[in-house]
Amino acid sequence: MAKTTHFGYKEVDIEKKQGLVKGVFDSVAGKYDLMNDVMSMGTHRLWKNYTIASSNVKEGDHVLDIAGGTGDLAIKFRKKVGPKGKVILSDINDSMLFEGRKNLLNHGIIDVDFVQANAESLPFEDNTFDCVSIAFGLRNVTHKDLALKQMHRVLKKGGTLLILEFSKVENQMLEKIYDLYSFNLIPKFGEFFANDEDSYQYLAESIRRHPDQETLKNMVLDAGFEFCEYHNLTGGIVALHKAIKA
Amino acid sequence: MFRLTIEKSLNHFISANNTDLTHIDNKVVSFRVDEIDLTLFFLCLNSRIFVIDSPQHKKVDVSLITNNASFLAIFKGASLEELLENEDIEINGSVNTAQQLASLLSSSSIDIEELISQYTGDIVAHQLGQAFRQIKKATIKNDSSIISTLKDEITTALIAPSRSKFFKGRV
Ligand SMILES: C[S@@+](CC[C@H](N)C(=O)[O-])C[C@H]1O[C@@H](n2cnc3c(N)ncnc32)[C@H](O)[C@@H]1O
Repeated sequence: MAKTTHFGYKEVDIEKKQGLVKGVFDSVAGKYDLMNDVMSMGTHRLWKNYTIASSNVKEGDHVLDIAGGTGDLAIKFRKKVGPKGKVILSDINDSMLFEGRKNLLNHGIIDVDFVQANAESLPFEDNTFDCVSIAFGLRNVTHKDLALKQMHRVLKKGGTLLILEFSKVENQMLEKIYDLYSFNLIPKFGEFFANDEDSYQYLAESIRRHPDQETLKNMVLDAGFEFCEYHNLTGGIVALHKAIKA
Repeated sequence: MFRLTIEKSLNHFISANNTDLTHIDNKVVSFRVDEIDLTLFFLCLNSRIFVIDSPQHKKVDVSLITNNASFLAIFKGASLEELLENEDIEINGSVNTAQQLASLLSSSSIDIEELISQYTGDIVAHQLGQAFRQIKKATIKNDSSIISTLKDEITTALIAPSRSKFFKGRV
């Protein structure tokens, strides 16, 4: 029998998930930034700022942003690493990379490299980066364990991994409000602003299927990282896991 | 937030001054303050310092046990030798390594009283301040602070961390 995995709340053939995820992001790419602002009421910017503040990235560093999409983190990292540093924005999806390139050009940034790559098989040498980040990307990856091992491989000793992702809400009251919001309003926003209810239904569902804070922390440690801590943001709606390769 | 602020201040200082960290590279130094149930682990790797809540499987090279007052005194530039002489701290491991880290902490001008007040409440911070002032012999360096800039940066980025979690060992 074929192996299955989840795609939102659906069980699908494991081989098919990547293609289905691609369909979602092909469909949302053009409206992705607008929808991010609408759905999170701008809060995703604060979450991303916190990620950058936690990164310890400094001038001259080499940074890889995986599943970087439209480039929010890459733009901020570029400023931090200065002219001697290097930032690579990678994503599996060419439509998202296309939007990312446009976005960076609009910000006057031309010295970020774009690499189309699956997080599960990164085309970079071992021990290359001072920091690897993945924001709101990991939950879409089919084999998360493989992807985490790849992130460990490409980081230098003493390099930092940052995973920003939706997570498990700490407070029951907030969880109820959040459930109402994400299963009723988000797909409707998707329909209204992007004419695409299904993709936003998937996004809401995929958040619930993603491992909770402690589970993800253990997965990160299992991938070879020696240290991993997480910090809940907005009551655990989102968590930032920070790990170190020692 | 507490650890993040210290980590950022240290790394800001290290990067701005091109500080050589080879003597503490790959070392873990821990600070324990019993009175406020606080333990900080400092790990030096890749020319930067990580302030972590647990050393996991890594061996702690040097551990310092301080009281409130000597903890503050270290951040204000007191020499560890003097604190040891006065039996204000206990050090297990190389005093030299501990001093290297202590010097970094004081050079980066972290306003530890203010940081603690954000998490323990002003009363504890005030008591800490008072206790610290009783250490008369400590050598205190000039307290010009870069922390306000860093704090602003972090505060704007931060979305209400729960205070109660701090002493349970979260970021
Ligand atoms: C929700 S977007 C996040 C974009 C950006 N990081 C942000 O925070 O705004 C998720 C991204 O993950 C990418 N993605 C999905 N599966 C991937 C995989 N296996 N490897 C790399 N990127 C992947 C998608 O193409 C999409 O651009």
